[in-house]
Amino acid sequence: MDTLIKALIACVIGLVLGLSATAWSLRYGRGFDAATIGAWTVSEKAGTLEADPYTRAALEQSGEIPLALGEGLQFIARTDDSGAALSPSCAYLVGRTTPPARYWTLSLVDQLGFPVANAAARYGFRSSEIQRGADGGFLIAVSSSPHSGNWLPIGSNGRFALVLRLYDSPVSATAAAIEKDALPRIVRESCL
Amino acid sequence: MNLRRRLIDFLAIALGAAMIAALVHVVAILIIPLYATRDAFARLSGLGPINATIALAQSGPRERLIPYGDPAVAGAFCRFDLRAGPLRVKAPANLASFASLSFHTRRGSIFYAITDKAATHGTLEALVVTDEQLRALEAKDDEDTPVQDLRIVSNAKEGFVMMRALSEEPSLYPSAEGAVRALTCASEPIAE
Repeated sequence: MDTLIKALIACVIGLVLGLSATAWSLRYGRGFDAATIGAWTVSEKAGTLEADPYTRAALEQSGEIPLALGEGLQFIARTDDSGAALSPSCAYLVGRTTPPARYWTLSLVDQLGFPVANAAARYGFRSSEIQRGADGGFLIAVSSSPHSGNWLPIGSNGRFALVLRLYDSPVSATAAAIEKDALPRIVRESCL
Repeated sequence: MNLRRRLIDFLAIALGAAMIAALVHVVAILIIPLYATRDAFARLSGLGPINATIALAQSGPRERLIPYGDPAVAGAFCRFDLRAGPLRVKAPANLASFASLSFHTRRGSIFYAITDKAATHGTLEALVVTDEQLRALEAKDDEDTPVQDLRIVSNAKEGFVMMRALSEEPSLYPSAEGAVRALTCASEPIAE
């Protein structure tokens, strides 16, 4: 009887732990084949037949429609370059280059992957509309308070992530080999 | 003695719980994609019938159906079922900017993608077939006239075609949306 109760306790704890670990890994984890380059994470195999079980399960749960490699690549950053989680009470500068691509877009999303409401109704920038410096580089200010130039508002007090998408990019097939310096840097400027 | 006994009990329960947690986690990760009740296909199924072209709402803070959408990119899809015959997909690709078609299975794997660069006469066209249908078509092909169709073999009977078109500026989003709305999907049964 005593043993049965102990086994039951172990089962209940195991079930709760196992399910919460699963929920956690689906939301914040990454698949085995995801590559991390600086602050950015990219999964070349997301949405392909070779995707690993974690990537598949995460995709099923999120309901995302991934980009095919032939279309482009999506990078996600949840931290800045120093590895600290992106915080709504801080201001960041993101720039100045991206890997080669016909177009790229950089947008801000909440933890579930949806744009965050803000008064400026600005959710992201396209390579075709962004203001650039004399050398062709760009800088995006990511902050809660208004900023001159390319300002991407944070909009809420929740955690957020930055999403970079490259459309029609020659680097698609070799994403994991992209140099850290080829991707936009995410530098924390100041915090409240 | 009593203390030692309790310690052993505690360790046994912890070990059992950890093993069960690991098992539950692995099984859950593997099972989730099989249920597929929240994946993209399931979410899109609620929007309209098979073969109908349905434009997705522009990604924004209040549009919470499909996460990680790009606010700069208009999207439309049609679901297909190859049991009704091969699927003829046509899409105009005469925009100056990026447009693409990607072909997804019911289970969320992408089996093909083309961009506007592959368009002939400003149109992207493809015929989605099963292995069996491909063999039936090839048996009827005239040996003297080359096949004009781009035939894409799908391992799955069900899936969806996604069209994306990038808008270079916010003001151009409506024309990108107009382009993706012009996607057509039609079943084309093989004549006896």
